[in-house]
Amino acid sequence: MLYRASAAWARMELLAAAVLAVCVTLLILLNVVTRNIGQALFWVDELAIYAMIWMTFLGASAALHHRSSVSITLLSDVVRPAARRVIRKTVDATVFAFSLAMLWFCWRWFLPLDLAQTGFDVVAFQGSTFNFIYAEPTLTLGVPKYLFWLVMWLFALGATLHSATHLLSGTSPKDAT
Amino acid sequence: MSAVLFLAALLLSVPVAIVLAITAIWYIWESGNAVLFDSFAQKMFGGLENYGLLAIPLFMLTGELMNEGGMTRRLVALARVFVGGFRGGLAYINLLANMFMAAIIGSATAQIAVMSRAMVPVMKDEGYDEGFAAATTAAGGLLAPVIPPSMMFVIFGVLAQVPIGEMFIAGIIPGLLLALSFALVITLIGWSQQFPKGTWMTRSQAIQALLAALPALLVPVAIIGGILFGIATPTESAAIASLIAFLVGWLFYRDLDPRKLGGMFKRTAANASMILFMIAAASVFGWVIIYEELPQRLAGLITSITSDPFVFLLIVNLALLLVGMVIDGIAAIILITPILLPIATGSYDISPYQFGVVACLNLVLGLLTPPVGIGLYIASSMSGTAPGAILKSLWPFLVAVTVVLVLLSYVPKLSTLLI
Repeated sequence: MLYRASAAWARMELLAAAVLAVCVTLLILLNVVTRNIGQALFWVDELAIYAMIWMTFLGASAALHHRSSVSITLLSDVVRPAARRVIRKTVDATVFAFSLAMLWFCWRWFLPLDLAQTGFDVVAFQGSTFNFIYAEPTLTLGVPKYLFWLVMWLFALGATLHSATHLLSGTSPKDAT
Repeated sequence: MSAVLFLAALLLSVPVAIVLAITAIWYIWESGNAVLFDSFAQKMFGGLENYGLLAIPLFMLTGELMNEGGMTRRLVALARVFVGGFRGGLAYINLLANMFMAAIIGSATAQIAVMSRAMVPVMKDEGYDEGFAAATTAAGGLLAPVIPPSMMFVIFGVLAQVPIGEMFIAGIIPGLLLALSFALVITLIGWSQQFPKGTWMTRSQAIQALLAALPALLVPVAIIGGILFGIATPTESAAIASLIAFLVGWLFYRDLDPRKLGGMFKRTAANASMILFMIAAASVFGWVIIYEELPQRLAGLITSITSDPFVFLLIVNLALLLVGMVIDGIAAIILITPILLPIATGSYDISPYQFGVVACLNLVLGLLTPPVGIGLYIASSMSGTAPGAILKSLWPFLVAVTVVLVLLSYVPKLSTLLI
């Protein structure tokens, strides 16, 4: 059940990442065209960068489900299967701990509870926490930057789901390879 | 303690990006700077807010489009026009086609995969030793990270804060030098073992091959020309190149099926995010490097051994060879640049361009050396040749790369002349 949820979520992450890769390509091409006809759009670069960053964190989370991240498998390639299982569970536990830490960092950064306590009054929130996250603007897009920063929550939640799944699941045939 | 955690996690095959992040987390915890946790996620996000990094997914996309668009075949045919008639012609064709490909594909592993499938069976059919065929192809892949465009140069440029376009230009002479040294190796081997005789194409065949390859050549022309003449940024020229690759493959060669675009974008997103995520994690790891004053401490150690930039680069080369043997080249360049570059430029007055060229070429060599020579295994599985057989024919090429590395370390002008 958990595995199916993790797999479905990873599929969605990858699909969204692919769509964002299309966006990056089209935005840069748009930039080339508009710049050459002397009508440069100043907001395109920033939007393209945010699209790339969203692609990255969604793709990185999906990679945790597929266990396809870059890693050094020198040791786990040469040890016996029993030891390999232990190594794999240690890695899963490490990734899970990292994911929880990321959730905690996002919490400390966005302080959702404190924001709710002030009745979502940003000024009162800033006054009580000295956290200016909700006031930070983007350079050219005219929207608050925290909207783009939200991807860190998606990453932390996705990574937690995928790593918890691996940690709790038995060794599937695919894992033994 | 952070160092122990770092090495243990790395060795246990925890993903490299996560190793960097948890080392940083541990270090912050240990040093009692918990306030940094408030901006941890923001720092990771901020590490990617860089216009130059946009070139990475775009160059990967161009590579995907080239593979599907039937360009490889045409470029091999084009190489045949120029060197096909020499004795051992196919070996030179392999090398020249690899040079064309290197001007389009930015990644050595991708190039080795494509070229092994395209070249090794053909060479085998004409009577070449299988191991030699695969070794030539694998070595040709080393041209990818030096001849522009190069994914590694993009990453190095971003980390070193030097213009990526100029970094690309710095790679041109070293790339040609490397290709020349490989040609020399092929000639020398040809003297000791008789290569099969080559055949020149007839004039009409040659013209046909030339015309067929012209649209494919638009891709490297757009990339290198755009950057060289300052018409487009590397990011823009990567986008233009992918558009050309798409249009040529789809409308002109008719090999590219637009329905496959979804899959290509998925692979691009997955592969690019793997690299970019490492860069994001490296930015929080940067805290460790800065607070621990790693470059300064290492610089103190090295400057007590030598004050000669050449000797320094030789030491770096030796260390990086070992690093490249166990760590993936791109992960390694992300790791070592923030530590070693300040020493090279600060204590030894070495140009960042020279350092970048030497470090990137050196680290990519690890692709072909055991125990984790990914390039070697890719060449092996794509061509059906045993890794041992490839390695037996590969060593002259590895010697050639080493000589080129020493030369590039000794003569800074080779990297900085065109800038």
